[in-house]
Amino acid sequence: MKPRDEQELPIIRVRGCLLVSIQTELHDRLALELRSALMERVRTEGIRGVILDVSWVEVIDSYITRILNDIGKSVRFMGADCYMVGIRPAVAMTLVEMGVELDAVSTALSLDAALEKLELPR
Amino acid sequence: MRTVESEIGAILTGSISEITQRSIFRRLGGMARAPLQHLSTKDRHAIQTELESSVRLFAPAKSAQLIASCARALALLGAPGGSADPPAGSSPPAGPFALNPSAAPAGRGAVAAPAGSHAMGGDKRLSIDSEKDIASARLEAWAEAVRIGLSKFTSVKVATAVSELARNIVFYAGKGTIELRPRQDLRETRLEIVAADQGAGIEPEKLDAIFAGTFRSERGLGKGLVAVQKLVDEFQIDTRPGRGTRVSCVFRGAR
Repeated sequence: MKPRDEQELPIIRVRGCLLVSIQTELHDRLALELRSALMERVRTEGIRGVILDVSWVEVIDSYITRILNDIGKSVRFMGADCYMVGIRPAVAMTLVEMGVELDAVSTALSLDAALEKLELPR
Repeated sequence: MRTVESEIGAILTGSISEITQRSIFRRLGGMARAPLQHLSTKDRHAIQTELESSVRLFAPAKSAQLIASCARALALLGAPGGSADPPAGSSPPAGPFALNPSAAPAGRGAVAAPAGSHAMGGDKRLSIDSEKDIASARLEAWAEAVRIGLSKFTSVKVATAVSELARNIVFYAGKGTIELRPRQDLRETRLEIVAADQGAGIEPEKLDAIFAGTFRSERGLGKGLVAVQKLVDEFQIDTRPGRGTRVSCVFRGAR
């Protein structure tokens, strides 16, 4: 078995969008790899949106927020949309209190909701 | 080799995230990686108690079922003849999160502290040396907040603040410690958190810029400190260039 620390984040393609379920500790290297993998696939596969599922993430601090926001920014520069789904209530309240910025990703309640929003004609 | 980590990990996967699982196993120290048949009865009790509180915290909906599965796995794989129990001295070295075996078998109903004058338990000192310690410090702080009766929301705030402080230590000082000090008086329950390092410290001008919101470091030191200050009820930072940094903060809960 591959050591858990070394695993990459699996990117799943669903209905013309890329889905990443974040279930592992994000650190600098992993975040950079994820970002470049997502950008490459957005370019080559004509992806219309990237969805980051954080429903497994129990604590999001300012560093993780910045990583997610950077991914959103990069994806948007390329012309795709970036959604974050499944934020837990306590996490959302904590982010509001901390006053961190999350301006480059849209949010949706669930994966279904994000896919629906992404399918609307723009 | 079948270890606590592999067997219990298989049970928890799908209900508890990998991040949390890893932190739980880290808290078990050497016990998590020891072959199951080498564990003493005492070890198994300690592991079970630890798993119970973590499962209740992170998978409340399925906790009963998961706890039962874990107990079954531990019992099944334990030495049936009873002869495999190693002498007490040979148990794996206890890590910074050493479990208290005396609290083990009877602890069924309770994450709560024992009654009486020690109601808040002792202070905990976590050493922060690498990125991996950030996740375990966060989990340890969360468990401590829940244990002393802070609300669910406050406990997530505690975990987030400790995450920020631990990250600052790892990114900017290399290593340091985070202390969790539960306190209780007639009016309130408090959790004091002290993050200390012997790193480069922060220059006064830089510190002013951080709290004025005009300073941005590459990896977010400024944002992290400001975020902690916004989350906590009391905040204090002592830092001198060359002498390290010490952040003390307090979360309050009603009694």
